[in-house]
Amino acid sequence: MADTEIVSHGTAHAEESNGGGIMRRLNMWTGIVVGVIAAVVVYVIAAKLLVNPDNEDMAQGPDQAVIAAEVAWVIGFLVGVGAFVAPFRWLMGKDQTHDDEMFLAGKGQGVGRYLRFTTDHKVVGVQYLVLAMTTFGVGGILALTIRTKLATPGEGLFGGQIYNGLVGMHGIIMIVSTIIMVVGPWGNFIMPIMIGARDMAFPRLNALSFWTLFPVVPIFLSVAFLGGIPTGWVAYAPLSDQAPPGMDAFAVGIIMFVISSGIGAVNLIVTATTMRAHGMTWNRTPIFVLGVTATSVLGLIALPCFEVGMIETLLDRSQAASFFVPEQGGSQWLYANLFWIMGHPEVYVILIPAVAAILEMTPVFSRKPLFGARVAAMGIVSLVALSVLVWAHHMFVSGWAPTLAGPFMLTTELISIPTGMIFLVLIGTIWRGKIWTRLPMLFVYGFLWNFMIGGITGIFLSDVPADNELHGALFVTAHFHYTLLGGAMIGAMAAIVYWFSKMTGRMFDERVGTWSFYTIMVGFNVTFMAMFFNGLSGMPRRVADYDPQYLIGNMISTAGAYVIGIGMLLFLYATVSSWRHGPIASANPWGAKTLEWYVPSPPPLENFEHLPVVTGDAYGYGDPTSVHTSHPGVPSVASVPAHTEGNAS
Amino acid sequence: MSNDIEELPEASSQPPLSERLKTPEGKTIIKVATVVSVLTVLLLIFCIWWPLISLPPTMSDTEREVKNTLLIFSIASAPVMALVWGIAYYSLRHWNAGSGDTPPEDGPAIRDNNRLTIAWVVGSSLLTAFLLIWGLAALTSTTTLPTDAKPLTINVVGQQWLWSFQYPEDGGITSNDLILPKDRPVIFNVTSTDVIHSFWIPEMGIKIDANPRVTTNTLTTPTELGMFNVRCAELCGLNHSYMETTGRVVNPADFEQWVKDKGGSPGVLVPLDVNKIEPKE
Repeated sequence: MADTEIVSHGTAHAEESNGGGIMRRLNMWTGIVVGVIAAVVVYVIAAKLLVNPDNEDMAQGPDQAVIAAEVAWVIGFLVGVGAFVAPFRWLMGKDQTHDDEMFLAGKGQGVGRYLRFTTDHKVVGVQYLVLAMTTFGVGGILALTIRTKLATPGEGLFGGQIYNGLVGMHGIIMIVSTIIMVVGPWGNFIMPIMIGARDMAFPRLNALSFWTLFPVVPIFLSVAFLGGIPTGWVAYAPLSDQAPPGMDAFAVGIIMFVISSGIGAVNLIVTATTMRAHGMTWNRTPIFVLGVTATSVLGLIALPCFEVGMIETLLDRSQAASFFVPEQGGSQWLYANLFWIMGHPEVYVILIPAVAAILEMTPVFSRKPLFGARVAAMGIVSLVALSVLVWAHHMFVSGWAPTLAGPFMLTTELISIPTGMIFLVLIGTIWRGKIWTRLPMLFVYGFLWNFMIGGITGIFLSDVPADNELHGALFVTAHFHYTLLGGAMIGAMAAIVYWFSKMTGRMFDERVGTWSFYTIMVGFNVTFMAMFFNGLSGMPRRVADYDPQYLIGNMISTAGAYVIGIGMLLFLYATVSSWRHGPIASANPWGAKTLEWYVPSPPPLENFEHLPVVTGDAYGYGDPTSVHTSHPGVPSVASVPAHTEGNAS
Repeated sequence: MSNDIEELPEASSQPPLSERLKTPEGKTIIKVATVVSVLTVLLLIFCIWWPLISLPPTMSDTEREVKNTLLIFSIASAPVMALVWGIAYYSLRHWNAGSGDTPPEDGPAIRDNNRLTIAWVVGSSLLTAFLLIWGLAALTSTTTLPTDAKPLTINVVGQQWLWSFQYPEDGGITSNDLILPKDRPVIFNVTSTDVIHSFWIPEMGIKIDANPRVTTNTLTTPTELGMFNVRCAELCGLNHSYMETTGRVVNPADFEQWVKDKGGSPGVLVPLDVNKIEPKE
């Protein structure tokens, strides 16, 4: 990563730029130092004032001290990384100079800009990709630990407390990682170029969104050292009220994550709606942009409900506010509703960007227009609309409002219609295409296999009597892993391979990548098929121990999980080695037509020399009269390989 | 689903079907339809096979309903899966342009097909409507008390981490094993003394959360004699995985004997309500 970036960006202007002021001295490391100092100081003071084991009125003191310290860490980190420098200068009447803004955008800084509060959308995209892959790796290690423990029944490696904590940590780390896995890197890096913009609408908010997310990861890791969470990531009350202070850290982490994603979502929505190139009507807007916009709207609606739930949980725990504690007049069903009003849309926040990326690359590798582009757009929008109306299917067995079972079964089963539209678009695009079986296209086929199984088993679960049997069983675990790992993650990996050359200027190692694809597909299907069968025969989810009758299924699952792990390591190896040593990529190795393929790989600061003009949609394969852009906004397309030009005309 | 397949290419509906099937496009459709049909048959065999090796034994009318639903739903989804996977497989076999360094030449510029889209959406809507009607019927039948027998009410109390069962209609006895008489409807009034648990009998297809300060209920009619499991299906803390017990379905005469052995008296009502809260309607 380092050497290519320096070559392409370390221009002669590096020495001339003298803006930045104190920002030159601030980076991730100063943020961590200030954050840690702030957290320690606040914790010591709070512990002194609030914690007294002899005083019963101070029973909630440890919770209050942990909350104060975690919040101090986030604020300290943001101060230390320089997030508040520009607002402070503005307040003092000294606005940023042009040089300051250019420094903030990362001009002439080489690799250092990736560790700073940098506003360039491409830097933010790379930061998101590295963070998403790192957290995914942590979540994967937790998954393998869980599967290792479950390989055989009995006490095994560790007991129920550690097990429950691991399950919760695996859940939340994977949720955070997969929410940002496509929208973070590619919504930030590719989407603005795709619509012909020089940057996001609010570049500083873009940096703020990432650097608010960054301190969340240590918070979630700190949960393990504060006693863990016994509840899984759903954090159901009233069990959450019994939990050790790890629960407080978890809640602060969620609150900061929702703030970060809200800032990012607003930025993406405004960028996509207001900054599209001249001539790029909604009908000519690439489907990936529509998908990212729809996802951002959905996230903005759904995720704050989790934030509210977590704020109230914190108040319950630290102030005896009794929102959710039945003994004090609260309602556990209120929490469950808040959680699932977030929880179901949230899976579509994970899924839709990956689906949109798949829809974006299927025409490229089928060499055919996107079949039924309007159907695809309607499918995505319908998914967004329906997904906020189905939350209570997670509560069919909770006993809450039994008369609502029928209506929520209706809305849930309706989701199969827009999902069917997505499948129609995919197979319609593949139909009679010239299938170019490069690695991204293999992932498309993997998606078709896994997501079909995930979708069909979801229909089983939407049926109330069947759900009464299967809810809370391993069947559910297998089902949502088929949609989120087999569907969304496979889509996200396709996106990484597809846009890798644009981000790094180098081609992805498809030989190792193909090995990793087959390894992951085999391991994944073995792991979760075995879980389906164990779930059907009555094994509950999230249990640290089980009856010996489930032994064979669990051993198969554990073996499969290790195969997935090997595949993921191969993919990581391919990513890192290609980033360092991969062959130099041309501007448009796939012969694709969206605007990002007209700019050099990697694109320069501010992307375009002139703003491009769009004259048609981006899917005019096999149709010489349909041209996406006649003015791509870069002086020459000499770097575009000849074969691509031949295809376009 | 075969109707959908025939409509996949651009529909030029002038010549009769028999003529259209002789064109190259028509032959492609016949080949794809063959692949999809074979795959449908294989998936249907799979649908019949998987419940046999995975589902627990059927011990109640509710579980029978659940198993019928799972079977019908998997049969209904087999052609859909076969259609998508069949076309995907066929495309890899016959439209594969290799993985060379340069993109293959472009395919036909098919942008949409309104008749196919309408057929697809109508087809999936009809399928959804069928699944919904089936589900509502099954829901009604599993939540309606049979009128031909007097139901037995049992209070189920979950606490960290064990289940206990009270028999208020049999002298108010309490047990840690769940003993049920065969062929008599049972209403379970379920509650918890601490956090949320979930009362689950896999062999009977019933599950309902045990909530503190609230009573929820579910019902079923045991139809087979034998042992079954009672599990907790909601993560409830440290020993969640050990929060399970066994139960037994016995003949009514044996049930009365068991009640007497426990010190109860069959049919004698002792008002018992753990949380002093009236059951929800």
